[in-house]
Amino acid sequence: MKLPEPILTKRIPCHPHADPKGRHIVSYDEFVKTGGYRALEKALDLEPAQVLATVKDAVLRGRGGAGFPAGLKWSFLAPDDGKGSRYLCINCDEAEPGTFKDRLLVDFDPHLVLEGIAITCFACKLDVAYFFIRGEYHHQARVMERAIEEAYAAGIFGKQGLMRGKAKFAVECHVHRGAGAYICGEETGLLEAIEGKRGWPRVKPPFPAVKGLFGRPTIVNNVETLAAVPPIIERGVAWWKSIGVESSFGGMASYGPKLMGVSGHVNRPGCFEAPLGITLSSLVNDYAGGMRQGKKFKGAIAGGVSMGVLGTDQFDAVMDFDIGRRCGVLGLGTACPTIFDEDTDMVAIARNCARFFMNESCGQCTPCREGSGWIYKLLTRIERGDATTADLDLLVEVAGSMGLSEGTTICGLADGNNWAVRTIVTKFRSEFERRVKPKFVPIHLVAR
Amino acid sequence: MSWKTHLSGTTIVPRPQVQLCTPAMKERWQRELLPRYATSHGALMPILHDVQHAYRHIPYAAMLEIAAFLKLAPSEVLDTVSFYEEYTTEPVGRCVIGICQTFACEICGHKAILDHVRARLGIDVHETTDDGMFTLLAMECLGSCDSAPVALFNDTLHERLTIERVDRLIDEARASVGHSQVVHS
Ligand SMILES: Cc1cc2nc3c(=O)[nH]c(=O)nc-3n(C[C@H](O)[C@H](O)[C@H](O)COP(=O)(O)O)c2cc1C
Ligand code: SF4
Ligand code: FES
Repeated sequence: MKLPEPILTKRIPCHPHADPKGRHIVSYDEFVKTGGYRALEKALDLEPAQVLATVKDAVLRGRGGAGFPAGLKWSFLAPDDGKGSRYLCINCDEAEPGTFKDRLLVDFDPHLVLEGIAITCFACKLDVAYFFIRGEYHHQARVMERAIEEAYAAGIFGKQGLMRGKAKFAVECHVHRGAGAYICGEETGLLEAIEGKRGWPRVKPPFPAVKGLFGRPTIVNNVETLAAVPPIIERGVAWWKSIGVESSFGGMASYGPKLMGVSGHVNRPGCFEAPLGITLSSLVNDYAGGMRQGKKFKGAIAGGVSMGVLGTDQFDAVMDFDIGRRCGVLGLGTACPTIFDEDTDMVAIARNCARFFMNESCGQCTPCREGSGWIYKLLTRIERGDATTADLDLLVEVAGSMGLSEGTTICGLADGNNWAVRTIVTKFRSEFERRVKPKFVPIHLVAR
Repeated sequence: MSWKTHLSGTTIVPRPQVQLCTPAMKERWQRELLPRYATSHGALMPILHDVQHAYRHIPYAAMLEIAAFLKLAPSEVLDTVSFYEEYTTEPVGRCVIGICQTFACEICGHKAILDHVRARLGIDVHETTDDGMFTLLAMECLGSCDSAPVALFNDTLHERLTIERVDRLIDEARASVGHSQVVHS
């Protein structure tokens, strides 16, 4: 499965459409020459409600992890009470291990993202946009700042109104740099960070659309979600829906192209644009040049570590938003798989994931703060060969008890830890069992 | 990140004669940063980035100055400083080497590079060399897994690292020492 033409990567050469060697930062002038800001122009001829309805009809599902439809989220916004600013926060935290897709857009085509921001602000009547970018993306923050300057100079943003005053509605856009905390990718943690506080996620409800940044109605969207808005406005809902797949369970469909970053044991790791519904094996073989050294596929981190792992028999997993139900993972996540070959030590991978969650837990909820440390300690013990089978069960029990879905934590970081650890241990159980000592239970105790 | 605690109730904050947040810095914050946010608290993170960059750490005395500037309680400033990894209360080296240790880099050989840097600089992770030149960090996924293993040298990401390349980068960092500024602490 291949896209007839690149869409989000129209100006960013990517395999198999073009040679990545030709990549460069697309300036404002080049962007406009290649059809940029036409979708904004078109949107401004419509009523905001019409723009919102178009995105809603297109079923543009969020690309940041949860897959929540953007148009629907926008329609939950509290009506404008005229009592102050309403905000758009763009989530470029991209700290999910294995994920490197938003970076591609910001690195080379920042104006595509800015066009999406401008259209979204117009559709939802949001007058200030904060581009939240993780602290480690130094270069990307500079590229974005430069692009925003260009956009101001060209009259896209600023007091005169969108698009040199074509619309009365004015939008301000700023970069806000994070400072090294994964949890600021969680939407309410992100809001706290923009408010200058520690990035502790908030208890929901109230949801940001009602009470968000500085207590005002706020929309949080991923970079890639917003980058998909201009093509939808320009080419229409029917075109968008012609890409991707329907749900196999009669649920919500997975339309559109998706950036998928493939890393790990493949010949040509990189970020590719593929239609939703492509199989993992096709992604690896047709896009990423196949398995490295012709080795066999053993497993993969599905789409960011929080989603869990795919087992050896799931190489043909279909990458769409149904993948969670179909393959026993949490969901599609960021659709950036890390591929492991037959020689990979899955116990080491599990330990590595557990360390990540332990380091990045914000510490608000006891099950996550304490559980993540326990899990890491249990896994290091298993890796060393000092554990027993009972520890393995304890591991699954501790991991399985934490998370939003278990009702024990404030945010989804703990669910990520839960799924990552539980899926690795269950799908590669024999490998773990080989590393632990059996635990003998005295028979008379059991009999009584 | 979250629960490294130490006794702070009896901390005596040194108050140097000089102003750490210079009038020029404050003027820029007033002009560029404050108007961007609905509250003065909002401007705290960009201000902290500035101070961290200027002094390679955020001295307690500077936190007091920032609190006064933003009309916040000093504890609110410390709260934010202590939460984020990029802000430090002790000076970091002139060159901060952050090696990615997450799984995509691990399966592509981050360990050999980390061990090599450790041995060559004679420091462990989260330590700074005695001459204040290098700080070594093990970081989580830097969003560049396709070019693993990777590391940040200050603001610059270096991809597809080998031991030879890391050695060269360390040599270059040492050679450029003359150009960097002195720590005021
Ligand atoms: C622990 C955690 C980390 C997250 N990190 C990110 C992230 O780095 N980038 C992102 O876009 N969304 C991240 N999310 C998802 C956001 O909370 C939110 O759902 C998303 O930004 C919404 O945008 P979308 O609807 O456009 O996908 C994270 C969620 C959790 C629970
Ligand atoms: S689940 Fe973990 S990361 Fe999320 S709020 Fe609770 S402690 Fe923090
Ligand atoms: S795992 Fe090292 S950059 Fe992602």
